[in-house]
Amino acid sequence: MTPMTPTTPLLAQATAEATVSTGEAIAFWILGPLALAGALGMVFARNAVHSALWLVLTMLTLGLLYLAQQAQFLGFTQIIVYTGAIMMLFLFVLMLAGRDSSDSVVEVLRGQRLAGALLGVGVAGLFATAMARGLADVTPAAPLDPWSPEGGGAGGLGRVIFGDYLFPFELTAALLITAAMGGMVLSFTTRHGKGGRKTQRELVEARFRGEYERPSPKPGPGVFATANSVATPALLPDGSVAPESLSELIENTSAARLEEQRRQVAGDVPKPDAHALVAPDESEEGKGK
Amino acid sequence: MLNPFLAQQGGAIETPQIDYAAILPILIVLGAACVGVLLEAFLPKHQRWPVQVGLTLLTIVAAGVALGAYVGDAPEQGITTLSGTVAVDAPALFLWGTLLALALGAVLLIADRSVEPGGAFVAQAGISPGTVQDRAQVSSTGMQTEVFPLTLFALGGMMTFTAANDLLTMFIALEVLSLPLYLMCGLARRRRLISQEAAVKYFLLGAFASAFFLYGIAMLYGYAGSVRLADIAAATAGTDRSDTLLFAGFGLLMVGLLFKGSVGPFHTWTPDVYQGAPTPITAFMAACTKVAAFGALLRVLFVAFESTSWEWRGVLWAVAIISMAVGAILGLTQTDVKRMIAYSSIAHAGFLLVGTMAITDEGLSGTLFYLLAYGFTTLAAFGVISLVRDASGEATHLSAWAGLSKRSPLLAAVFTFLLLALAGIPLTSGFVGKFVVFSAALSDGMAPLVVIALVFSAVAAFFYLRVVVLMYFSEPAPEGPTVSVPGAFTTAAITLGVVVTLLLGVLPAFALDWAGAGGFALSS
Repeated sequence: MTPMTPTTPLLAQATAEATVSTGEAIAFWILGPLALAGALGMVFARNAVHSALWLVLTMLTLGLLYLAQQAQFLGFTQIIVYTGAIMMLFLFVLMLAGRDSSDSVVEVLRGQRLAGALLGVGVAGLFATAMARGLADVTPAAPLDPWSPEGGGAGGLGRVIFGDYLFPFELTAALLITAAMGGMVLSFTTRHGKGGRKTQRELVEARFRGEYERPSPKPGPGVFATANSVATPALLPDGSVAPESLSELIENTSAARLEEQRRQVAGDVPKPDAHALVAPDESEEGKGK
Repeated sequence: MLNPFLAQQGGAIETPQIDYAAILPILIVLGAACVGVLLEAFLPKHQRWPVQVGLTLLTIVAAGVALGAYVGDAPEQGITTLSGTVAVDAPALFLWGTLLALALGAVLLIADRSVEPGGAFVAQAGISPGTVQDRAQVSSTGMQTEVFPLTLFALGGMMTFTAANDLLTMFIALEVLSLPLYLMCGLARRRRLISQEAAVKYFLLGAFASAFFLYGIAMLYGYAGSVRLADIAAATAGTDRSDTLLFAGFGLLMVGLLFKGSVGPFHTWTPDVYQGAPTPITAFMAACTKVAAFGALLRVLFVAFESTSWEWRGVLWAVAIISMAVGAILGLTQTDVKRMIAYSSIAHAGFLLVGTMAITDEGLSGTLFYLLAYGFTTLAAFGVISLVRDASGEATHLSAWAGLSKRSPLLAAVFTFLLLALAGIPLTSGFVGKFVVFSAALSDGMAPLVVIALVFSAVAAFFYLRVVVLMYFSEPAPEGPTVSVPGAFTTAAITLGVVVTLLLGVLPAFALDWAGAGGFALSS
């Protein structure tokens, strides 16, 4: 084993002067419950944004706890990187994805929530009691010198990262490349590829080549008319109704009746035809009665 | 206050010793994966598929050559390099060879475009399923060629996972192998929603299992003051520290590892993910992930927890029995071929665990051999499954397989052989694998467990034979599926699997010798 290994037995290092100072104890008993409250709040908050903010509380208090244990570099990294950068990114994503979306409270599996809660509390209790028993007679570790390589300072961490754990550190590069490529694979679509969306220019050219039924967009409802309701058809410059402006969905509305009334006023109603194979439009007859 | 800090920067950092020859296969695979990513960025779309396929196959062959060159004069006791984070010893070399050979077959299946025009992967994964654009891309023959670098990343992660000599490296290798698999599960061309569902399920449950693994590492660090396997072993041997941290950490660590190996009660992701993922990826996952997970499990148990085996063996007994029972009994009720093979893999994980628990040389070599044999059989089985198709893609429902021998006698015969190998009938690799694993467990005093395992092998054999009977003695359905004629790639992959399954069944001595070449490197 090289002398640089970070094998500092935390629990076993029992030195005579190793005690917890009063200030550290006070800090722990204030920050510990806060961290726990943040964690619980994160789990139980219905709103995703609230969850993220609760998590920020936990991370901040953890950072302060690191500081209290003289791991200044780690503490500040925790606050700057996790709370500052990563959690803010989280919040951005949540805001973009829609902050109103909250958890569904529908229980898909019957009794799952109750069983999950019971088992969770049971496991937590088991862990707490086992840890309390296992760590009861442990002598507190001596305060580490943060300036020494093993002390958790920046220099010590650098030595560990570029010496003992060089390979895992380099291996995280593979992880980051995979994550970046995964994001691209799952979200990127080519615009100009086959079946992709056309640009404005391509669309205009295609319209004038006659690939669409008309070069101009369809007239909207209410153009040149007296009202701009959806139900009012657009009028052409000669005063007649532009049929394209009529939505097929609102057939039997005043808009559709307007055309009929116009024809009646103009005397343009077709006479009954004895040779016709089909009867005149049923709906018109119905309305006529 | 700052002065002592500035004074500290005098000491130079000791650079770790790196045995490049030993870790060359890993470096080749990971380096080629990075090159593949660059090719993806700079090549025009129509050139990507041939270049990526060539690069990936070449990489695997080159890594195999590098491995072969190193095995020739490797020190018998194995070495540890990179300040003890990677151990290159006989089991690691055997597992690397197994992983590379299996990955070669899986890449051939992934690269195949003859069975399904354009391959089993979606042309553009970013398009949401069911939209107009999605219907438009069904006819396109493109595919996401990012699959190839992702496969190489996963392979590199698996190789590191089996050689990781400390828990931190093991955790990062676990993530490196898992992330690409989560991604590739969601890239199926057909039935995209079920494929994406599989990816999300695998991702969420995998993240959950990783959290267990990490918590276990934290506990073990608290116990031993180090994450190195050798230091944990040293701490367990003769200490007056409370064992609570040790066993809590061990349990949590095992949950993470057993999840990856789809063992026992941690198997719930397996059927859904195997069914939803594109079949070549299922083959890759079923064969290689199992090898990697059990390789790491063997190393952790043999190196770190050998001296405490009496304490944990009872728990793993229960896990193995649950795994065999779940796999064999639930496998009986399945109506989908892919799900059936998934439950079969859970049962096989139980058999593998029986061998893993025998902390002896026979247990080690037997489990390694079993992994080799199982990997090739299951790879070929998924290759065959990808050939039976109807209009909507693969016909995986069992009723579609009725009377298949009348449509394609060759395919039915090959699949029958593979199922018999999975069931463990003599003259197949499955029989030899079960034999060596069970005899190792017997000689290590686990006779009751071996009896239970034999009972469950008989139960599992029933559902394999059910498929055989269905293929040979039922009338084919009138609107049944057709059997595609495979192209060169799929033919090569299936042939590889079948030939190895037969060879290991008839002449297992060579592979058994190699598997028993030596133990784990114990020096830290």
